[in-house]
Amino acid sequence: MNSLLDVKKLKVGFEGAKPVNVISEVSFSIQKGENLALVGESGCGKSIIAHAILRLLAPEARIEGSILFKGRELLKLSEKEMAKLRGNELAIIFQNASHALNPVYSIGRQLAEPLRIHQKSGKTDATKKVLKALAQLGFSSPEKYLKFYPSWGSGGMNQRFLIASSTILEPELLIADEPSKGLDPARIKEVERELWVLGKEAKSSLLLISHDLGFVRRLADKIAVLYSGEIVELAKTSVFFKQPRHPYSQGLLGSLPENGFVPIPGLAPALCESPSGCRFHPRCPFQKEKCLREHPELKAREERAVRCFLWA
Amino acid sequence: MQKESRAYKELGVQRNLGLPKESYTLKESGLQKFGKIFKTFNRGGLLLFFFFFFLALFPSLFAPYSPSERFIPYEAPSEAHLLGTNDIGNDILSELVYGTRISLMVGFASACISTVIGLSIGLLAGYFRGWTAEVLMGFTDVVLLLPKLPLIIILGAFLRPSVWILILVLGLLSWESLARIVRAKTLQLRESGYVKSAQCIGFSSFHIMCTDIIPNLVHVILPKFMLATASAMISEASLSFLGLGDPSLKSWGIMLSFAFSRGGFIRDMWWWYLPPGLCITFCVLAVALLGFGFEPKTGVAKKEVVKLQ
Amino acid sequence: MGLKIEKLSKRYGKGLFSRETELFRDVSFKLEAGKTFGLTGPSGTGKSTLGKIIVGLEKPSQGDVFYKGSSIFELRGSEKKVFRRKVQMMFQDPLDAFNPRKKIERSLLDILSLLKIPGSKGPDKIRLMLKTVGLNEEVLLRFPAQLSGGQLQRLALGRILLLEPAFIILDEPTSALDVSVQAQILQLLKKVQAREKLGYLLISHDEAVVRFMADYCGKLEHGSLSLA
Repeated sequence: MNSLLDVKKLKVGFEGAKPVNVISEVSFSIQKGENLALVGESGCGKSIIAHAILRLLAPEARIEGSILFKGRELLKLSEKEMAKLRGNELAIIFQNASHALNPVYSIGRQLAEPLRIHQKSGKTDATKKVLKALAQLGFSSPEKYLKFYPSWGSGGMNQRFLIASSTILEPELLIADEPSKGLDPARIKEVERELWVLGKEAKSSLLLISHDLGFVRRLADKIAVLYSGEIVELAKTSVFFKQPRHPYSQGLLGSLPENGFVPIPGLAPALCESPSGCRFHPRCPFQKEKCLREHPELKAREERAVRCFLWA
Repeated sequence: MQKESRAYKELGVQRNLGLPKESYTLKESGLQKFGKIFKTFNRGGLLLFFFFFFLALFPSLFAPYSPSERFIPYEAPSEAHLLGTNDIGNDILSELVYGTRISLMVGFASACISTVIGLSIGLLAGYFRGWTAEVLMGFTDVVLLLPKLPLIIILGAFLRPSVWILILVLGLLSWESLARIVRAKTLQLRESGYVKSAQCIGFSSFHIMCTDIIPNLVHVILPKFMLATASAMISEASLSFLGLGDPSLKSWGIMLSFAFSRGGFIRDMWWWYLPPGLCITFCVLAVALLGFGFEPKTGVAKKEVVKLQ
Repeated sequence: MGLKIEKLSKRYGKGLFSRETELFRDVSFKLEAGKTFGLTGPSGTGKSTLGKIIVGLEKPSQGDVFYKGSSIFELRGSEKKVFRRKVQMMFQDPLDAFNPRKKIERSLLDILSLLKIPGSKGPDKIRLMLKTVGLNEEVLLRFPAQLSGGQLQRLALGRILLLEPAFIILDEPTSALDVSVQAQILQLLKKVQAREKLGYLLISHDEAVVRFMADYCGKLEHGSLSLA
């Protein structure tokens, strides 16, 4: 009960003539100050989980299960209570930094906005806090940036402003949706440093959603690998990278540059047509007859959980 | 947009199919409620438009008499003449029904002319840039600066009054805003990956414009076309009211003009001057609503579904 | 017979109120059949512009590109058509590379009719191409938005292969893709290169990718190219 975020048997589907289930029975929890990474190919449902937690999904979405945040059931809160929570205790960093900032307002104004709305703080008070936040993110002369506009800065700089605006209220949980996508290696380094500092200094927890394994490896304490809408492996980062257990995790690591770009054969299934049995079996090098028929459960042993018959 | 809604269908996701709601769904936001009201307006526009369209196609089915048939002049509404008769004894309801065709024709024909001109100028200027664009857009700006109504009045006064000339004049003077929009959108599309690859592969500029650019401009052109139709109908009515219309083809504007000049207002014959005014208003409203209906719709839901793919 | 790039320079923006800025100067290198030239460098240095100049989408301010000994900017008529087909470019964003309103089938058939391939041979050619890039035939009936990034990037390569090119400019071919899909696409590019003896110019900011793919490489930085 003492975990910060507790997601239990989360199921997400979309209503329709042919209802589709996109997330099936995903469970994980984040302790205070812990960083968890959700890893998987695009189209495996990573972002949907993040949006389900923040309740930003479309009205057609059917969500089952429970999402407990500090012991409160997020799925039962009203839209008003949710709005109070968003940005205040729960914040998200979106993918594209340059698009998420409003180009016609100065950085100072945009950063002060959450303070004025959530904490009703006055102008001078807000400015003080903005300056502090900017200084914390490594801007040497923060006063200069109060009158700065998003189009003046580089992508990496905007990403930092965005992180500052998401974290200015010191949320307890920060969700970062692909923060490294589409950035230069140098800028990825910058963003990585900011997120790391944030975890250390502000004691925020981080739910990191990414497909960039190198990035994840340096930031996350725990890693959850998603495939076709379900978790296939959940382990501590150090343990995971030393010895991935699920064949898909092994394949993912093999695709990395340092391991020689060895690809996993085949294509990831679309969420609406997941295969029967083990969802990974059509692409698995170790598939057995059993994998075609039965759906493996997520089995926990020695600080890790794997959804594979080979592991059992 | 189209591509999104197709992806949407592919997944079989549809709104409100009456599935059990024990599971949690988000409440409707204010914007969505507004969207629904707006949608019913669009449907209303469609119905209204079809009503006028059928009047225009088959006036003889709806009109009780021929518009040139003569009865006793200045008659008040009665069972024989639902909207009375005018100064020379024509049945006003019949005139009204036959007038639909002329009003709609003027509107659509001049909108066609302006769309063709605006589309080609905007497309060429956006696609080729350089001096072609300079010349074309310079010309557009000159036309944009012309004082339209005075010019039309002068032209109308000098040329002999004819519907065809009116259509031509209205069409030739109302394409600039479409040209500007089309050019802006074309400038954006020509930088897109698919146009670049088509150029690499070696397709001709004509082929690229026809198959890659114009289909992606449709959602810009259609609403604009409907609005051009509506504004041409209004211009026609105003010009006819000023006496610059073609008196041989009785449009609603000319009916209004006659009601004014031949004693409809003085005698307080509301059945003479009110119906054509209302017809103009509703017909323009129908066309404009139809135009709004063509505008691209955006929604969170669709974006989400595309992501799933 | 290769593609020789000689002393290319590109300058931008000489206007009434703006000063001219130089993107790069005196860039020279050679592309050879069956080999990959890797081009790295920070973003904004004009790597993509260089690629576009080579395929003829943009004009250089100075310098020349020679294909089979003659300058590509002096080619006319049928010679130009042949050159256009022989040097192709693959773009970064696979979704953007296909017209959203055309089914994949239509996009490919348009190319066949451009190449004047008779209708009877068309389906076989497309089937063969799909097999090469490892795709199922059902993708033909889809719209681009209904396919994944990996599938689209395979199709983008397949579409180029229909033209039987000699050189392909790969502009960040995998930076919009996931790690696992990136590995698949890179392997596919290698396989196709070995079979068709293609010359690649690989533009990427990811040095690991360049190291993996390239036979020789250069870095475009501060406006000039340094060969390694």
